[in-house]
Amino acid sequence: MHTDTRAFVEFIVQGKYEDALELLLEANPFSSVCGRICHHPCEQSCRRAKVDAPVGLMRLKRFVVEATRDYRLGRRGEDRAVQQREKVAIVGSGPSGLTAAADLAKQGFRPVVFERARTPGGLLGNAIPRYRLPYSVVEEDIEDVLGLGVGLRTGVEIGKDTSLEDLRREGFSAVLIATGLSESRTLAIPGIDSRGILLALPFLRAVQTGQPFVLGQRVVIIGGGNVAIDVARCARRLGAEKVTLVCLESREEMPAWQWEIEEAQEEGIHVMSSWGPRSVFSEQGAVKGLELRKCTAVFDSEGRFSPRFDESDTATVVAENVIIAIGQRGELACLEGSGVDVDERGRIAWDPQTLATNEDGVFACGEVVTGPGSAVEAVFDGHRAARAIAHYLETGDLLAQPPMDVPHVGDLPDDVAQKVTIMLPVAPHVLTAEKRIEDFAEIERGFTEAEALAEAKRCLACTTGALVDEAKCAACLTCVRICPFGVATVHETAAMPKEECLACGLCAAECPAAAIALKRFSTDQMKERLARAAADRKETGAATPLLVSYCCLFEMTSRSFIRQAEQDWRERGVLLIMVPCVARLGVVDLLRPFEVGADGTVVIACREGSCLYPTAEERLLGRMRQAKQVLAEIGVDEDRIDYWKTEGSAEVSWTAFWELSLRKLGGVRQAERRETK
Amino acid sequence: MIVAERKPLAEIRGFVDRYDRMLIVGCGTCTTVCLAGGEAEVKVVASGLRISFLRDEREIEVLEGCVTRQCEPEFVAEIKQRVEDEAVQAVVSLGCGVGVNLLAQTLETIPVFPGVNTKFFGAAVEPGVWLEMCAGCGNCILHLTGGICPIARCSKSILNGPCGGSQGGKCEVSPDVDCGWALIVERMKKLGTLDHLAEIIEPRDWSTSHHGGPRRVVRPEMARVSGQQQGNGQ
Repeated sequence: MHTDTRAFVEFIVQGKYEDALELLLEANPFSSVCGRICHHPCEQSCRRAKVDAPVGLMRLKRFVVEATRDYRLGRRGEDRAVQQREKVAIVGSGPSGLTAAADLAKQGFRPVVFERARTPGGLLGNAIPRYRLPYSVVEEDIEDVLGLGVGLRTGVEIGKDTSLEDLRREGFSAVLIATGLSESRTLAIPGIDSRGILLALPFLRAVQTGQPFVLGQRVVIIGGGNVAIDVARCARRLGAEKVTLVCLESREEMPAWQWEIEEAQEEGIHVMSSWGPRSVFSEQGAVKGLELRKCTAVFDSEGRFSPRFDESDTATVVAENVIIAIGQRGELACLEGSGVDVDERGRIAWDPQTLATNEDGVFACGEVVTGPGSAVEAVFDGHRAARAIAHYLETGDLLAQPPMDVPHVGDLPDDVAQKVTIMLPVAPHVLTAEKRIEDFAEIERGFTEAEALAEAKRCLACTTGALVDEAKCAACLTCVRICPFGVATVHETAAMPKEECLACGLCAAECPAAAIALKRFSTDQMKERLARAAADRKETGAATPLLVSYCCLFEMTSRSFIRQAEQDWRERGVLLIMVPCVARLGVVDLLRPFEVGADGTVVIACREGSCLYPTAEERLLGRMRQAKQVLAEIGVDEDRIDYWKTEGSAEVSWTAFWELSLRKLGGVRQAERRETK
Repeated sequence: MIVAERKPLAEIRGFVDRYDRMLIVGCGTCTTVCLAGGEAEVKVVASGLRISFLRDEREIEVLEGCVTRQCEPEFVAEIKQRVEDEAVQAVVSLGCGVGVNLLAQTLETIPVFPGVNTKFFGAAVEPGVWLEMCAGCGNCILHLTGGICPIARCSKSILNGPCGGSQGGKCEVSPDVDCGWALIVERMKKLGTLDHLAEIIEPRDWSTSHHGGPRRVVRPEMARVSGQQQGNGQ
C-alpha cells in the first residue's frame, strides 16, 4: 500500500482537509483507526528523521479525520457503484476483509462480510483497548465501508452456522478467508491449568465488550509483544495494584513498540525482561504465582526462536492472576467440510502471490495466512485480495502479485540535513499516567488545528522541488550561488537532484532564464485570481483602493480565520493570496497586482526566526527592492509595496497590517494626486 | 561574455510610446547570464510597461518572447515570424547591441529598440559583479602581459605601464578601479617573468581594432558549405 504522505501533508498546509481525507481514504479505508494505532512505518521512513525527528504523519492523519467528520458523513455512500456483478463472501470483518470488501464493492461486485462476533472489526473492535482506540473510531471506518454497499452478517460462524459449501450454493462466486489470528496461544508448563490463568485475547475481548471482570491485586503477564502490553495496561485499569510483565526477550529485543513499553512503565507496570516461566505455583488449584528462570538467549545463531535458560538463576513473582500473551494463532473452523488444504503446521495452504488456496475460487488474506502483522499491513493485504478476486472473476485466472518494492528516494544527505532549520515535532497531549489508569478513556487527544498546521509545516516536501527546463537553462550559475542547501549544481545545465532538493523555490524565483519550475508551487493560480479580482472591481466600480496581500501560508493557524478574513477584507479592498513561503515570489509576482490595476502590494512574511529556509527573507527583500525600482522608474511611488513580518500569529497581527498598509496607501495616493496637480 | 545592463523603464517607455502592440524579446545567452535580458527580465520589463501604460489609461498589448541567441539568423528568424504572425508594431530587444542590429536588419520595416545598454566583454568576478576584461582589439598581446589585458584593463590602454596615475594598485580614474598595469606587474612577479617587462612593446597597428573599420571573420569551409546549401554562394 502506498499513501502519498507528502501530498496529504501538503493538503493540510493549504487548509484543504477534505482533499487530504479523500487521499487518505483512497489508500486506506481504515484511516480513522490508523490515525490512532498505526505503527506508522511511514514515519520510520520519513527523511526528516535525519534533521531532528520524523513528521508526525499518524497524528496528522488523525487530525484530518477529526477535522472532516461532517464532510465524511456527507460523502458516505456517494461514490457507491452500481452493484450488479458477482457475489463474494468474505469471512472475517477485520481490516483485511473489510478493505477487500470495500474495493470489490467499488468495482460493482457484491461482497458480503461474515462475522462470528456481534460487532464487526475483528481485533480492532474487540481486542485493542479502548484507551488506545475507542470503538466509535472503528465504527467511523466501518460505516464508510458499509456505505459502499458491502453486506454484513454478524453473529454467523462459518463452519458452524453455515459452511463454505453453503455459501457457494447461495450463489457466492468467490470466498475470501480473512479470519485473522483470533486465538491466543498457551504455554505447556506445570500448573498452567490452575484457576486464575487467563489467555490474552479472551481477556481483552471481555474487557473491551464491557463484561464485568474481577482480577486479583497482583497480576503477571507473560509475553513481550504489543498484546502483552495491552493486557498489562488493561489489568492496571481494572484495578490490579501490582502488574508485572515477564518476557524472554531482553529490553532491547522486546517486540512491543518502544513507546508502548514506555507508556506502560509510566503507568506503573513492572517489566521483567530476560525471564522465562518455569511453572505456575498454586494453592488449592488457585494461582499463587509464577516461578521464573533466567533466559540467556531467545534466538539461536540463525535467528530462530530457541530460548536457552540458566536454571540456576531463578525468581518468583506472587500473583493471583497470570495472563498468557505469547502470541496468537488462526482458527480454521470455517474450513470445516471444505476441501481447502491445511499445511503441516495447521495453517491454510495458500499461494502468497495469487492469494489462492487449492480450492477453486477460495482465497485467503491477512494475518490468518501472513502471520502476525499490523493493521496497515492487513489493509494492504486486503487491497491485494480484492485485485486477486476481481481478476479471477473477470478472467477465471489467478493473478500473481509479486512483493511490491516501496519506492524510496534514499536518505537525506548529511550535508543537506545539517542546513535544515531544526523544528522539533509538536508534542501530543497525553493524559498523565495517574489519570490514565483511572479508566479506559482515550489517553491521547488529537492535534488541534494550530498544532496540526505547525506539524505539517515541518514536512520537507521531498522530491517535489525544482524542475529544470534544460532547453532554457543558460548555465548561468545563479541557482548554484543562491541555493541555501548547497544542492544545485551546473554542469552542462543546472540540476537539483530530487533526493536533495528541499523545494524552497528560491532558485525558481531568481532564475534569469525562467528555466526552473517547482513541482508543488506555480503562480498560475495567483495570476487567475488577480485577473478575476480586477474584473470584479471593474464591474462593481469599487471606489476603495485595491491592495493585494501576499501572506505566508505557513503562518496559518486556522483556516476559518483565513476564510473569514478573505471575506471581510475583500469588502475593504484587500485581496488575500496565501503563498507557501512568500520568499517564492518573483519580481514579476510583486509587480503583477499593479498590472491588473491594484493600488498596492503588501507582503506578509512569517514570524521572525520561523522561516523554513535559510536566506529566504534576504532574497525576498532583494526582489522587493528590484520591484520598487521598476515602479520608481515609471513614476510609481515605491511605497506602494509594503512588507510586514507576522507578529505573534496571523490572527493577532495581520488585520493591523492591512489597516496600516491601507492607511499608508491612502497617503501615497493623496501625495501623488497633489503632485499631478 | 557580453555584459549589459537594463535601461531604465522610463527610457524604454519613451521608445515605444507611440505603439499599441509591442514585443519584448530576451536573449537566452549573454544577457541572461548577466541578469539583464533573459526571460525573467523580459517579464519584468513587460510588466513595468503594462503598469506604466495602464496608469496613462492606454490600452496596449505587450507580448513577451525569448530566443536562445539573438546573434544568429536562425534564432532571429523565429522572432521575425512571430512579429508577422502577431502584427507586432515595435520590438524591444533585451539582447546586446548585436541582437538589436541583427533584429533590425532582419525585421526591415519594424522598429527595434534597445532595452539594455551593452557594456563590455567581461567576467563575473563574484555573484552579481562583472568586470571588463577584453576590448576585442583583434590582435591579442596577452602572452606579453601575464594574461591580463592592458588595452581593456588600463584606463589609458597604454602598452608600457604603469603610468604615474597608479596609486597603491588603484587607477587615478577612480579608487574603485584596479590599475591594470599593477595587476600585470603582480601577476608577472608570480610567474617569475617580471624581467620581460624591461622589453618595450612597440606601438601597435590598430587597424585590427575598430580603427580599421567594421571587422569580419570568415571561416571559409563553413562559409562555403552554408553558401552552397543556401544556393546563394557569395
